[in-house]
Amino acid sequence: MIRTLNRRLPGIWATAERRQSALFWLILLLPVPLAIYTIGLGRYAIPTEDVVRALVDYATVGENTSTQPDLAYNIVTRIRLPRIVAAMLIGANLAVTGTAFQGIFRNPLVDSNILGVTSGAGFGAALALLLLRSSFEVQMLAFVFGLVAVMLSYFTSRLYHTAPLLVLTLVGILVGSFFASLTSLLKYVADPLDTLPAITYWLMGGLTDVTRGDIPMLAAISFGGMIFLWGVRWRLNVLSMGDNEALALGLNPTRLKLMIIVCSTLMTAMAVSVGGVIGWVGLVIPHAARTLVGPDHQRLVPSTMALGAVFLLLIDTMSRTLLPAEVPLGVFTGVVGVPLLLVILRVNKTGWR
Amino acid sequence: MLKRIGVWAVLAILLVGGAAPAIHAQSGEGLRVLALESAQAPVEAWAAAFSEAGDVSVTVEYAPTSDAVLDRAAEANVLILDDVETEPAIAFDCGFVSRAYLPLPDLGARVVASNSCGGAMDPLDEAAVALATFMTGPDGQQIAIDLGLLPAVVEVVDQTGATVSVPQPVRRIASPYSVATYYVYGVGAGDRLVAAGYLGARDPVGADAMRRLDPNFETVMNAVSTLNQQEANIEELAALQPDLLLASARTDWLDAAGELGLPVIRFEGESPELLKSAMTLLGAALGPDAAHRAALFNTYYDETLAEILAQTQPIEPRTRVLFTGTNPLRVASGAMYQTTMIEAAGGESVSAELSGFWNDVNLEQVAIWNPDAIFYPPYGGANREAFTESAEWAIIPAVEAGRVYGLPKMSAPWDTPVPDSILGIIWMAETLYPDQVALDCASEAITFYNLFYDYAMSEDEAQELCQ
Repeated sequence: MIRTLNRRLPGIWATAERRQSALFWLILLLPVPLAIYTIGLGRYAIPTEDVVRALVDYATVGENTSTQPDLAYNIVTRIRLPRIVAAMLIGANLAVTGTAFQGIFRNPLVDSNILGVTSGAGFGAALALLLLRSSFEVQMLAFVFGLVAVMLSYFTSRLYHTAPLLVLTLVGILVGSFFASLTSLLKYVADPLDTLPAITYWLMGGLTDVTRGDIPMLAAISFGGMIFLWGVRWRLNVLSMGDNEALALGLNPTRLKLMIIVCSTLMTAMAVSVGGVIGWVGLVIPHAARTLVGPDHQRLVPSTMALGAVFLLLIDTMSRTLLPAEVPLGVFTGVVGVPLLLVILRVNKTGWR
Repeated sequence: MLKRIGVWAVLAILLVGGAAPAIHAQSGEGLRVLALESAQAPVEAWAAAFSEAGDVSVTVEYAPTSDAVLDRAAEANVLILDDVETEPAIAFDCGFVSRAYLPLPDLGARVVASNSCGGAMDPLDEAAVALATFMTGPDGQQIAIDLGLLPAVVEVVDQTGATVSVPQPVRRIASPYSVATYYVYGVGAGDRLVAAGYLGARDPVGADAMRRLDPNFETVMNAVSTLNQQEANIEELAALQPDLLLASARTDWLDAAGELGLPVIRFEGESPELLKSAMTLLGAALGPDAAHRAALFNTYYDETLAEILAQTQPIEPRTRVLFTGTNPLRVASGAMYQTTMIEAAGGESVSAELSGFWNDVNLEQVAIWNPDAIFYPPYGGANREAFTESAEWAIIPAVEAGRVYGLPKMSAPWDTPVPDSILGIIWMAETLYPDQVALDCASEAITFYNLFYDYAMSEDEAQELCQ
């Protein structure tokens, strides 16, 4: 009996390994065709050849060379393209930072908001909407306050000399709640006719206002952060086993965690400042990816980037195409994400690591 | 038709320039009141109370009929008569006859301000206006109640169908529902507000306009630290001892306010029909003069709207309009007041298919709708540059053609369901069809603010407002 098992076990592992490996490559390639496909979708009907021509024109000469009116070209290049790029970058961003945080905090229930970055950014945006109102300032303040919240969590937690990770988690939750309360205070004093709806809409997330101008900064921080996290993916495996194992393997877990936190915070703050509060991506996608490719961060990190990009791209495409009025993204990700997570938890037999 | 009431109001309130001597001598001895004999009891009581409260002596003379009063109109400062429609025919070199004040349901008063020459009002004319205001105000109403001429409690059915008993007179009004605040001004009871919400009066332009209409409004606006549909500081509100609370049907804290035992009138107020019934309802609760003013407003509204519709409804093809909100990509649904206004102005709202309140859309959807013109509201930082300076919006033909227009606001934004919204419809029609309609926003604004806010708007101010 034991012998039989021993003989069959490698076989099972091999099959699972082969399946996961195939899935891994499939997932990595998925964003590209999907992006190409969704650029042809939209409320405004544009024939496929016009979409292609617009993209070719945009890539080669940078302006419309066809005899068609500019409208189709402008819709493809000025509205759909920036939005698709932003959705993918933000999705990848939120998903991969969620993975990193779950790894270093060794907790399946956290995402990058655990240190209060989203709540801080929400407060910054609400403050800007109340006082300043230009979209640049909204992004700026959201970004700055996202960082401020995380710094506050980090430095406050160092005042306590017990179990650093646990304290950091606790303080992070407190700081997050603190900024959430401040946001409520701002909503409370906001004019119900104008600033209050603006704040409420912002907090629900959405990409309707994304333009080309938003892309360079978002892309720079997202790619920079993703390259860093991709670079430390093996170390994430070690960190997720605990500090003692990390030390035994010659890593400095404290410094490494700090670097990952800084990087993830920058990425999340950037994502939130462009797209508003879009929940659940950082929680659902890491779990989905683990189910599909296993808990090894070597595969998990690239997979979550790709899956996050795909997930938010699909959600945002639905949001912008299904109805004349857009469903706020943060609402949509929750409605789709929570049932998905429930299914994953049922199916998932590999555990969260 | 449209101009009839307008001319009436301008006649009634605008000062006629010039510096000719007064027709009848007053020599500063006091106010002369000429009253209908049948009104002797209340008039005597009012005159006595008024001269006791101020330093002005009041002499009352009586005539048997309204016609007799009108015949001798030039001899008096204040006329009290039962015929409130007929304008006393007095040939002034300068001076004016005021609108009718209604201290009792069938009894009107008019001020003959014959000493008002050369701009500033004569103290005696001011005293005459003060007497008329006193008679129609809460103090005058109390005297009439004591004499048994007016009921001590009025029952009204509010817009949620609830019957509300309102003890009379109502001296102190709290209006957490900002829209209802403007109903109160519209029925001439703005001076009775002790705490109220306003629409867009916290930004400099709105505050400046509102200050001109009511110099006292900031005290009223800030009387209670928190007072809106979601929340209110009930204790601060109670400390102001209001007699009447004007709320929205969707005000959240009315159960707590109910513990104060205050009468509460609730409004739905999101359509023209509800606007008129709200005015009637509020007028009934605030006394005969307010009821008269409410009826005046409703007549004005109906006649003005009929005039607008007669001009705009035959227009084909209809201009297709996108009404945007605080953000260019936030658009008005079909259920909103703005859509009703656009339709009355002869336009067609491209986003009428949407339901609910404001909806977020994307620019692709706007491109499909392809509106001929875009309106943006006078609040929330909405501005023309958000369209004209945007590379993305440049793809929309209406933006390229420069057909992007910001709605005006005076006391309140003209796209909100306040009495002023009738001017918003005129402005829209004029903006959409400058060559096809003969409507004049500026002159109508002068008439409107004279009639319903007792505010003499200058021609320049009206032109600037209607731009």
